[in-house]
Amino acid sequence: MRFTISREKLQEGLAMVAASIPSKTTLPVLANILIETTDKGIRLSGTDLDIAVSTEVTADVEVAGAVTIPAKKLTEIARELMPSPVKVATAGEQRVTLECGQSKFKLLGIPRDEFPTFPSVRFADAWRIRSADLHQLISHTVFAVSTEESRPILNGVLWELRPDHMRMVATNGHRLAKMDVPIAGGGAGSSDLIVPPKALDQVRRLFPAEEDLEIARGENHLGFRSPLTSVFTRLIEGPYPPYDRVIPRDNDKIAIIDKASLSGALRRMVIVASDQTHRIRMSLNTGMVKFSVQTPDLGEAQDELAIRYTGDPLDIGFNASYLLEILRNMPTEDVRLTFKAPDNAATIEPEGWSDPAKYLCLVMPLRLVD
Amino acid sequence: MPTVAVLPADVADQIAAGEVVERPASAVKELIENALDAGASAVDVEIFEGGRAGVRVSDDGSGMDRADALLALQRHATSKIRRAEDLVGVQSFGFRGEALPAIASVSHLTLHTAAERGPGTAVRVVGGTIERTEEAPRQRGTTVDVTRLFQNVPARLKFMRSARTEWRAVADAVTAIALARPSVHMTLSHDGRRVMTLPPAPTLRARIGAVWGAEYAESLLAVHDTHNATTVTGLVERPSDVGTRARRIHIAVNGRTIRDAGLVRAAEAAYRSTIPAGLRPSLMLELTIPADAVDVNVHPAKAEVRFRERWPTERAVEGAVRRALGVLSSAAAVGPRVWNGGGAGAGLGAPAYEAGPWNGVPPDGGNGSNGDYDPRGAPNGVGAEILRALASRGDPLFEAADAAGAGAADASRGEAATEIAVPPLVQLRRTYLMFEHAEGVVLIDQHSAHERVLYERFMGALEGGSMASQHLLFPLTLHLSAAAADAFDTHRALFSRLGFEAEGFGGHTVVVHSVPSPHPRFDAERCLRETLDALTGDRQPGTAARHERLAATIACKAAIKAGEELSPGEMRSLFVALARTTLPAHDVHGRSTVVRLPWEELERRFGRR
Repeated sequence: MRFTISREKLQEGLAMVAASIPSKTTLPVLANILIETTDKGIRLSGTDLDIAVSTEVTADVEVAGAVTIPAKKLTEIARELMPSPVKVATAGEQRVTLECGQSKFKLLGIPRDEFPTFPSVRFADAWRIRSADLHQLISHTVFAVSTEESRPILNGVLWELRPDHMRMVATNGHRLAKMDVPIAGGGAGSSDLIVPPKALDQVRRLFPAEEDLEIARGENHLGFRSPLTSVFTRLIEGPYPPYDRVIPRDNDKIAIIDKASLSGALRRMVIVASDQTHRIRMSLNTGMVKFSVQTPDLGEAQDELAIRYTGDPLDIGFNASYLLEILRNMPTEDVRLTFKAPDNAATIEPEGWSDPAKYLCLVMPLRLVD
Repeated sequence: MPTVAVLPADVADQIAAGEVVERPASAVKELIENALDAGASAVDVEIFEGGRAGVRVSDDGSGMDRADALLALQRHATSKIRRAEDLVGVQSFGFRGEALPAIASVSHLTLHTAAERGPGTAVRVVGGTIERTEEAPRQRGTTVDVTRLFQNVPARLKFMRSARTEWRAVADAVTAIALARPSVHMTLSHDGRRVMTLPPAPTLRARIGAVWGAEYAESLLAVHDTHNATTVTGLVERPSDVGTRARRIHIAVNGRTIRDAGLVRAAEAAYRSTIPAGLRPSLMLELTIPADAVDVNVHPAKAEVRFRERWPTERAVEGAVRRALGVLSSAAAVGPRVWNGGGAGAGLGAPAYEAGPWNGVPPDGGNGSNGDYDPRGAPNGVGAEILRALASRGDPLFEAADAAGAGAADASRGEAATEIAVPPLVQLRRTYLMFEHAEGVVLIDQHSAHERVLYERFMGALEGGSMASQHLLFPLTLHLSAAAADAFDTHRALFSRLGFEAEGFGGHTVVVHSVPSPHPRFDAERCLRETLDALTGDRQPGTAARHERLAATIACKAAIKAGEELSPGEMRSLFVALARTTLPAHDVHGRSTVVRLPWEELERRFGRR
């Protein structure tokens, strides 16, 4: 294998792939980056066995071939090289020489045969989706996934693809985020996928919003593809819990609150709230909400806010950090909160949002102690 | 003919003697106490054949002139009190004027005494009758020589045990007094062989070092606490040492060694949740309480006292011991040297005498289930102490073994809410947190530590209130075994206070609607299942015991496990939470949460010293 590439292109390609390479691994070849020659240049690939990323950059190929090189060293070298063309050549299966101006490097790689093969996903009947729509779904839901390992299914984001819309749902069993966006002519039929959030983060990072994406499902993998870059991820198996049944339809107490003021009050309360539960109390009354928090060994705090509320008085407890996280993702200045009773789920939605998307978050209350 | 007659004086004396002097050891005790009441700075005790053949106690006290010496041998003759009112708050060991005549009435006794150096008095008494009085020169002080003890009391003689057994009892009695008066030079010989030499010691720890060895003395934790008018000082066993060696009990009230099952139980209660059930710690405690708050005139040998108010006294003891267990130095140490060596005093000799298990204490049933656990009742200052103990350098509390303790401890009481400074922490093997301390390297077991934190939090919820409880979006449905379902029903109300709200769903199925969330990785379903399995068939008597059992079980199941990687933030908050617990150095199974590797030990291993 022999090719010449500009330092910029090499760095660009490495930056795309590097994040998919695990920092600690028991399989040495996973710390390497796979370099293969193509018709127009070279393809760089990396994987941690859960997610695989691959991207193509232009280069002058003289002799076709493939090799793997330690990703960290190659990235460091590329960063320090003079801005001149970089000549890369292999000698045998493992030795790689790299020359740039007067700088010369010889690196020991690992034969490409040892690099895991990418999952096979057929893009023949793929969905075609605007990257911007996907970005919007991901950024509004992925925060709500569970990080606790006892229910692996909740460690993923549910992605429902339908002919005319798609929806993402994430929850940790205490709070939930759900968003729908309409799509025009998705392509393939309906499908429900449970996707690791790490993969969605990569998708958001690697595909610019203006690109169109092809998405296809393999047996238990999912592939995302743009003309130059592709991302593959393992899917999480199993039925997602019946989230639709727990979304309340009969919450009759509705409050419209200025998001910034609400966040401010909650942030003040959380200072004095318990480190473990962040428990705060909200007391809703006509036109007004009072916040209070009491933590043994620490102290207490109160605050209040004028709001639009006409329902019956209600006292309800929440984990303030759940509320704050949701508010951070709310796209509008005012938010709409609905309640039923101190034991029932509350919902938070954007108020006066003109976007065609639909967004709803849900929080389960904390038990109040009198 | 009248059937009731007044007994002859010698018979009455023999009966009285039976109360005070029941065996050689009690004669030795009375004689040493007389010596100490006479202001002796050195007491020599010689025993022959376990006391059966003879007992000799010599002192350098005030001595007596001839008239006093003769008077002292009469019943109810004493120099120690004058009026009945003097009985309240009496400070001397004796005051009844009974001991000497009682001993004299059942033995051959020679009293040799001098108030000044020079002409002294020797009085020989046989079976209570003065046989001879003569002038005999002597240094200032008194020697009492007792032979043929109980020779004229066949009933008593029959009950004398072997010389070996009597000797043990004598040795225990001498040790008890030696601990109560560390400043007095004492020697003890048996059949002419010196078995114990105790130089005057500045502290109880130094005296214990002289009796049982410096290493033992240094392994004990200092207790020093004042609660209202009661001051509790002394030394107690480190929880990690309990059960590994002979149990020793020494309880003194205002300098008087006593037996008191209630105080022992109170001190043991302070160990609860730090040592496995059934183990009993060694305790050397001295109480100083106002003289009018205690009645010592209860027992002829004064082995028991009566407190005007028993409950606050026991509370003071429990609080003082708990406080001592709450400091870092109570954690298990690595290596032969212990952290807090400063208090023991230098130059302690090798152990002069090794006592067997303590015989002088009645077996009391400290079952640990009565008495109420109250985490908030523990002194607030503990958090602040730990903060200093753990985080600051050269803190005075580590040196506060005996002298400085009181002031520092009192001063720290008001500042519980102080921020706790967290040193840089490193996680080792995903199991231990390590940090550097002024005195050495400290390791924390993350599971044990978290268990202790959760235990106290759960205990707080069970005793007074409830935990925060997170309602679940998707209720958990648990299919339980019959036994587990039964355990759930038994503890349902308590589970609810801990944050598990559930309802039966027919059969052995339980639907859980809300769960506590003690930390972000908490796996509620697994915790509940494992807790129910552990509680299966459990029948704990008493509410407090049931609470402790449940809190300990749930804490164990809910705590982060060994092998979990902690973020720096998690390590810091665990450190702070641990520092705020009342007993941070011990987990709920009696294991250590904290292990200390002193610099001395490291330096020794690297050959630096």
